[in-house]
Amino acid sequence: MQSAIKQLLIFSNFFYQVYSYREYLIQSVSRDLRKKYKRSALGYLWTMLHPLGMMLIITTVLSNLMGVSFKDYAIFFLVGLLAWNYFSSTALMSLHAIRTNSRLFSQIAIPKYIFIVSLVCSNFVNYLLAIIPLFVVMLIAGHAIPWTVILFPIVFIPLLFVTTGISLILSVSNVFYEDTLHLSEVALQALYFLSPILYSREKLPADLISWLVLNPLFCQVEFMRLIFFEGIVPDLMSFSLNLLGSLFILFCGLYIFSKSEDKFMYHL
Amino acid sequence: MNTPADLISSDLERDTKKSHSDEFAVEINDVTVAYRAYIRRPTSLKETIISTLKGKKEPTFSSFDALSQVSMKIAKGSVFALIGSNGCGKSTLLKVIAGVLKPTKGCVKLSGDIASLIELGAGFDPDLTAIENIYLNGSLHKKTRAEMQGRIQHILDFSELHEFAFTPIKYYSSGMYARLAFSVAVDVNPKILLVDEILGVGDERFQEKCKKVFDELINKGKTIVLVTHNMDYIMEKANQVALLKKGKLVYFGEPKRAAEIYRSSDYSA
Repeated sequence: MQSAIKQLLIFSNFFYQVYSYREYLIQSVSRDLRKKYKRSALGYLWTMLHPLGMMLIITTVLSNLMGVSFKDYAIFFLVGLLAWNYFSSTALMSLHAIRTNSRLFSQIAIPKYIFIVSLVCSNFVNYLLAIIPLFVVMLIAGHAIPWTVILFPIVFIPLLFVTTGISLILSVSNVFYEDTLHLSEVALQALYFLSPILYSREKLPADLISWLVLNPLFCQVEFMRLIFFEGIVPDLMSFSLNLLGSLFILFCGLYIFSKSEDKFMYHL
Repeated sequence: MNTPADLISSDLERDTKKSHSDEFAVEINDVTVAYRAYIRRPTSLKETIISTLKGKKEPTFSSFDALSQVSMKIAKGSVFALIGSNGCGKSTLLKVIAGVLKPTKGCVKLSGDIASLIELGAGFDPDLTAIENIYLNGSLHKKTRAEMQGRIQHILDFSELHEFAFTPIKYYSSGMYARLAFSVAVDVNPKILLVDEILGVGDERFQEKCKKVFDELINKGKTIVLVTHNMDYIMEKANQVALLKKGKLVYFGEPKRAAEIYRSSDYSA
């Protein structure tokens, strides 16, 4: 019972610490963004080439296979891809977060999960910036932008929690086990295909789906598509369940992280 | 011949009666910092799984105690010095007090906030200018940009770096670097200041400035924990001294006695 209360305190302390270090997060995210976009519009377009390029290639190859029109599939795929990219780029960058910042936390006492939170935040800004070309593509395709897109901040929250939780676990793993990077790349590849990015749920047999929903990213992609592509408000019941599940993953990630973070200094 | 244990207990009794208040600035309770050097330990998940499948063989390791069962109480409003030969655990102990390194066993209790000068320029980014680094350092201590904005002038005044405020600090000399780091740390106005071997860095003028600042801090009732090899300063200013040898506390008490033991042949044996 005592340890349960302790864990709950760590959990709520997490949000308090994130608030306390908001200035560091703002500065860190600005630094990351400046580096990425190199203060030019061309840097921004360059970054957008990747998802747009993927969209064109995948749509050209697969839209026929899926039995969907080119325009529809392009948007269908792009929405899912952006949500996925947020998760996978944060997860991969988190692997290096601890080592890269080891000099910093070996001199100043700072909760080490702040470095992962920084990545979570800067990639969120990248996500927002990527929605602009998404809207442009939708307008070009003549696909009206549904009003449900304003629900984005709410629908983003479970994706945020899942991403943070998993990134925390991966960052810890990489401190103790060097091959985490290699295994993560494989796991992310697998998760990509196990998430409904290229396909929608209906295309798969029911018994397979009951397994696939265990993939924490499965529902996040679907909910994003609901508000961006289908223009439907998510069902409150299923969304609440999703939110609870994502909180659980965040809790697990924090638990593993807090148990291991004191040992980092002995391994670096 | 007095054993080290006798020395510690008798001097401690004397010193606690002399302390400024009942509460201590820093309480170090039975702290051990044990590093393990593994001879054969899996460093990847692949190896871990393989070795588990092959049947568990205890990985052999040699244990190195950077600190071993160290306990002491540092009084408020005093200058406390940690001395000992290189590698005896002084910097490790300072890191434990700063909260950067969690001890394998034992705990540390603090009665106030800390600013540390463990390595000069903690959290400084060489590519950023002095002003940007002041903001960065502030953010690492949970201070917002608005809070730091009012402090910048004061920090630049103290460090005398006005003309270089917009130069990236990678172009600074080590003396300039030290001045900036020191000014930033002192500006935090901490209850407890941890200083690692700063009296050896920088020119005479800077060292004089450091000493003046220390005096001012003491007058305000702050505590300074100092790691230094500068015996003259310790004799002059330190209230209490702890002597470490290979991670163990060998003596705690009067500066003169500590210096004597440090210089004796018993210690270097």
